[in-house]
Amino acid sequence: METQRVFSAPSESSPQIEIHAPPSPVESQKTPKTRGRTIVVTSGKGGVGKTTTTANLGVALAARGARVVLIDADVGLRNLDLVLGLESRVRYHVLDVLEGRVSLADALVRDKRVPTLYLLAAAQNREKDDIATDAMVGLVEQLRDEFDYVLIDSPAGIEMGFKNAVAGADEAIVVCTPEVAAVRDVDRVIGLLGNRINAQLVVNRIRPALVRKGKMLSVEDVNAILRLPLLGVLGDAADVIVSTNRGEPVALDEASATGAAYRTIAARIAGEDVPAPQAAEPDGFMDKLGSFFGGRR
Amino acid sequence: MKARRIVVTSGKGGVGKTTTTANLGAALAVRGKRVILVDADIGLRNLDLVLGVEKRIVFDLVEVVEGRCQVRQALVRDKRFGESLAILPAAQTRDKTAVSELQFAEVVNNLTEMCDYVLIDSPAGIEHGFRNAIAGAAEAIVVTTPEVSAIRDADRVIGKLQERGLPMRLIVNRVRPEMVRNGEMMSVDDVCDILSAELLGIVPDDPEVIDTTNRGVPLVLDPTQRLGAIYTKIARRLEGEMIPFTQLGSGGFFGRLFEVLRAG
Repeated sequence: METQRVFSAPSESSPQIEIHAPPSPVESQKTPKTRGRTIVVTSGKGGVGKTTTTANLGVALAARGARVVLIDADVGLRNLDLVLGLESRVRYHVLDVLEGRVSLADALVRDKRVPTLYLLAAAQNREKDDIATDAMVGLVEQLRDEFDYVLIDSPAGIEMGFKNAVAGADEAIVVCTPEVAAVRDVDRVIGLLGNRINAQLVVNRIRPALVRKGKMLSVEDVNAILRLPLLGVLGDAADVIVSTNRGEPVALDEASATGAAYRTIAARIAGEDVPAPQAAEPDGFMDKLGSFFGGRR
Repeated sequence: MKARRIVVTSGKGGVGKTTTTANLGAALAVRGKRVILVDADIGLRNLDLVLGVEKRIVFDLVEVVEGRCQVRQALVRDKRFGESLAILPAAQTRDKTAVSELQFAEVVNNLTEMCDYVLIDSPAGIEHGFRNAIAGAAEAIVVTTPEVSAIRDADRVIGKLQERGLPMRLIVNRVRPEMVRNGEMMSVDDVCDILSAELLGIVPDDPEVIDTTNRGVPLVLDPTQRLGAIYTKIARRLEGEMIPFTQLGSGGFFGRLFEVLRAG
């Protein structure tokens, strides 16, 4: 990385960017010199909820007053902008910054709802191999000087995109679903994270009714294999699909059980001594339908 | 006669590529076709788990490429299907770069002499593993769910398939009719319109698929699973039969029961 002064003078083309938001009471114990935490959200397996988790934890942490930046590391298949509803505001991406076309301040997209939340989008028409791991680490290092949290949304798989996503992080949130295939992939990823990275587990899409019937792995089954500190458990809720499609993270929805679970996980990340959220009872379509079939199910 | 070489891909992970590959392969095998499934997800293999043959793997794709064994030795037969269904497992402790596109295509070509269908289970993403998987194929099945992020990724993948001149058809997976009716989920028609893709199948969301997948039982072999019939329909369409689609997301209460039972 060049020694650009990224944040010193926001350019005229983006006067709305104001990085130094006043610290909230919650975060007031932070001194300005404290460097932000760098957390990668990863899983190995795709479709287990990495991007949804990144978006919602980012929103929930920022709503607590923390300064948060989310980096989409899924070059070529970006989606974090969609889940946040910011896709029409993305003008520049990570590679524009790394290749020196724009400043970091110009590439950061401020969230519509929570003013201390920013997104750094991935390039959609480039390849993951286009990012050098060193450059990615440099970028994360720069961002942690300005933000309390740098959350990195890892792509699926364990190829170059994964390696780049993980390289700059000190901590990992590993997302797993109660499926044998997901557990195997996550187990492999935990091995690749090694001892340098402090990993915690989020188990996503639990259906307590199926667990009781012995038709779904329980959180204990999953963690008997993975053996990670449990950060939280999320139920399989239809409102998450809707919120993702609409670009409105559930973490801001006071009425959503999943939203409440994300807010609790955010509190735990911030160091509050609260118990890990458990999955709420589902009342989804298929569960209701199950009663029609009685013994067949 | 040489086998058809079909890659099952999606861009986005977790939309059902491996489940589709396994169940479509099983449905074709039940219909008497000789099928070989190739797991292209080196380092994160799962196709063996979905078929429940994980304990019987001796050699893998990388060992075939490196000349440590014959491709026939690496094939794991699924005995429930007699001689009709076999899998070529991926290596678990290696990297996707252990195999080049050319090497992958060569392995698939060798398999075409032994069967009627080679189905290639692509990894998520569009990196090296994806490029390997499509290098071996002459046709593609793109799996998506009715979610904006999955559709955006599918769109990107379809562009890449078109660059290669690979003909493709679409399977829309995990459709929830009630959410479609409530306007909370895109309909299959919407998805096909957005992607300008020809439809091969519609699969409703059923959380119990997770259970059969965890137990390694293909849906066509489980008589309690209504989804088995849906994969059979998709297999028949693949073979060129004209099977009408049942649209999900319309009709009243009885319509709902009907579509749940007869979807596909």
